[in-house]
Amino acid sequence: MEIIEEKQSGINIFKLNGRLDSNTSQGFEQKIFQAISDGSKNLVVDFKDLDYISSAGLRVILKATKAIKREDGRIMLCSMQDYVKEVFEIAGFDSFLPIVATMDDALKAF
Amino acid sequence: MAKKEYSFELKSSLSELDNLCLNLETLGEKIGLPKKLVFEINLALDELFTNIISYGFSDEDEHTIKVTITPQNDEICLCIEDDGIPFNPIEFDTPDVACSVENCKVGGLGIHIMRKLMDDICYQRCGDKNILTLKKNLAKDET
Repeated sequence: MEIIEEKQSGINIFKLNGRLDSNTSQGFEQKIFQAISDGSKNLVVDFKDLDYISSAGLRVILKATKAIKREDGRIMLCSMQDYVKEVFEIAGFDSFLPIVATMDDALKAF
Repeated sequence: MAKKEYSFELKSSLSELDNLCLNLETLGEKIGLPKKLVFEINLALDELFTNIISYGFSDEDEHTIKVTITPQNDEICLCIEDDGIPFNPIEFDTPDVACSVENCKVGGLGIHIMRKLMDDICYQRCGDKNILTLKKNLAKDET
């Protein structure tokens, strides 16, 4: 899996490309938690090029959401493919995670 | 229609998830399974496989996990076989999914997802093997 990190007017953007499973989730966890410990309070995770997610990936998203809330920050998730979004729905995570349709919607939230 | 079986083996390492995906994509193309179905089969088997690797073995030896897939007229049958400690995912308590960020527990989430994706699950312990048979109805996944 490839993770591209960008910074745009104080917002850290993580673009995920490929498959987020128990084999690749650790690398993503390290990157997102590095950003949080470096003081980032506004995060966007872009799922546009993510083809697959398992519970290991959901776990990282949940942990990061909890961590960023403790810092009074905010995380937005955007541009999910249908199959990926369905996994969030099966897990019930769509009820409390901020999932929006596009990157623009995500950036507008800050 | 004669039942045809497709099977492959995975080693007990998380890096084998790539092989699982590759095997399923190849099979999906060969027998013309819808992409959504391949995704769901992959996810269910991934969650089980990850669970077996994470909790199933008490030694450091390399083990083999065997996957057999039998497509039938209106359902697809998946069988996953390992020689790890006895584990019956049907008896496993799944998390309460309707919760807030603060209260959400992540333990058991993978098994919960696997059970939601499949229509029928059967567990057998045969000798030193766990044999889990999953069935997925095809009718509602035509698209």
